[in-house]
Amino acid sequence: MSKYFTTMEDKLGLDKFKAFEKTHLKIKDGADPKVVERKLFICPARVYELNDRGEPIVSFENCLECGTCRVAAPDEVEWEYPQGGYGVTFKYG
Amino acid sequence: MADEKFDAIVVGGGPAGLSAAYVMAKAGMQVIVVERGDYCGSKNVFGGIFFTNVMKELIPDFLKDAPVERNVSKRRFSFLTPTGEVGGGFKFDRFNKEPFNNSFTVLRAKFDRWFSEKVEEAGAMIITGTVVDDFLLKDGKICGVKARMEDGDLYGDVVVLADGVNSLLAKKLGFHNELSAESTIVGVKETIALPEERIRDRFGLTGNEGVAYEYFGMATGGAIGSGFIYTNKDTISVGIGATIKSMLEHKLNPNDVLEAFKAHPVVAPLVRDGEQKEYSAHLIPDGGYDKLSKLYGDNVLVVGDAAGFVNATLFHEGTNLAMESGKLAGQTVVESFNKGKNYSAEALSQYKTRLDNSFAMRDMKQFRGSGKALEHNSKLFGKYAVLMEDVVSELFAVDGEAKWPKEVRLVKKVLTADNPFALLKTALDMRKVIV
Repeated sequence: MSKYFTTMEDKLGLDKFKAFEKTHLKIKDGADPKVVERKLFICPARVYELNDRGEPIVSFENCLECGTCRVAAPDEVEWEYPQGGYGVTFKYG
Repeated sequence: MADEKFDAIVVGGGPAGLSAAYVMAKAGMQVIVVERGDYCGSKNVFGGIFFTNVMKELIPDFLKDAPVERNVSKRRFSFLTPTGEVGGGFKFDRFNKEPFNNSFTVLRAKFDRWFSEKVEEAGAMIITGTVVDDFLLKDGKICGVKARMEDGDLYGDVVVLADGVNSLLAKKLGFHNELSAESTIVGVKETIALPEERIRDRFGLTGNEGVAYEYFGMATGGAIGSGFIYTNKDTISVGIGATIKSMLEHKLNPNDVLEAFKAHPVVAPLVRDGEQKEYSAHLIPDGGYDKLSKLYGDNVLVVGDAAGFVNATLFHEGTNLAMESGKLAGQTVVESFNKGKNYSAEALSQYKTRLDNSFAMRDMKQFRGSGKALEHNSKLFGKYAVLMEDVVSELFAVDGEAKWPKEVRLVKKVLTADNPFALLKTALDMRKVIV
């Protein structure tokens, strides 16, 4: 009987990622980190989180490259495509 | 690559870019397609149906070797209520023979890759794993693109922008405003493996036919959107999509909405016991006709999602609009190529003229108000769905009450549940997503 994945970590484990050394996403300098709680909860891969000290953590290596964050928070998120050949590779799509 | 110069550069190897490249290469032009993924299709996601009416024009015998999953002969539209659904649909055996209603479920990683091979066979060159960040300019006019790599300048007489929904390049040109949260849909999807026999039994199918089930109402946690199940050969595609604005308002994460959708009593038995294979996410431009980008300028054209060609109404068409716009852009460029390579904005305005006469633009125009109509009727995704279950379940309840007094009572219930004019307006507005 196969296990049914519901947590984000498990689901992202289904996908093929190749992380580049540098992030292609960041929260702009000077932006209020609370944007993570106010808007960036919408990220389908939950790339954005706050750590214990209230600082944003951006797990760009889990990014599905949809662009939701840049539309949800255009003033706070800096976004570009990852380096060619890196990032997520869909086998089904 | 500095010394090479191409007749045309296509940025993006999805259905729109590949269609443009195919048409131009077939006409003998030197074409290069620049794709950021490892292969064409590796970054591409959609719900599930590829509408192949334009593919059939470009490659009439595509079914000979195209990796399609199932032909869609059965579609069902249903309104999810708190514990059930009210729905209807169609299934026609006539859709089980050529041309199969030009509707096939496909997996984009396979299908787009196959299409890219056909484009290469037609004579275009495709480079993958390469991101384009900017344009090359000469005397203020586009003369190529800048790829993010060493020696990444690529020169070409004309550039076709097919870089998808986010289209950073069209925005750089000022052809497009930033995507707005109310007219952009975020979609997430799981691909779930099930044995072929079980898919046939579960969805009532014979042979290679397949279904498209679309769910409205309470499919998206109150946000403005819908859910879907599409059957592939030995997998099913299950997902939800909703506008970013309404997701933000309801404080929803798309994956949580998908989990709730899969757990709904109507959906759960259709997706159970499968093995999850992939989780994906993508944006859909839902601005319609009024949010289309500027479509052409000197030495440049915009096609597909990059321009906003999606009909996100009940019909959920996108791939065929992408291909149509790509094809027409390609034909426009070929005509200019044959007439002294004049790619001025004036010459390329033919693209717009061709589009205006196409099904793609005519449909965009017809449904121009659909996104707003749904936004103004958000009760459909909550309050009205609850009301529908109450009324329909009571109407069909076998409880000893005579029908006539019950019907009178239910009509009263509907009329007092909300302002009757609001209900009427919703009913009339819904027309906009259908006709």
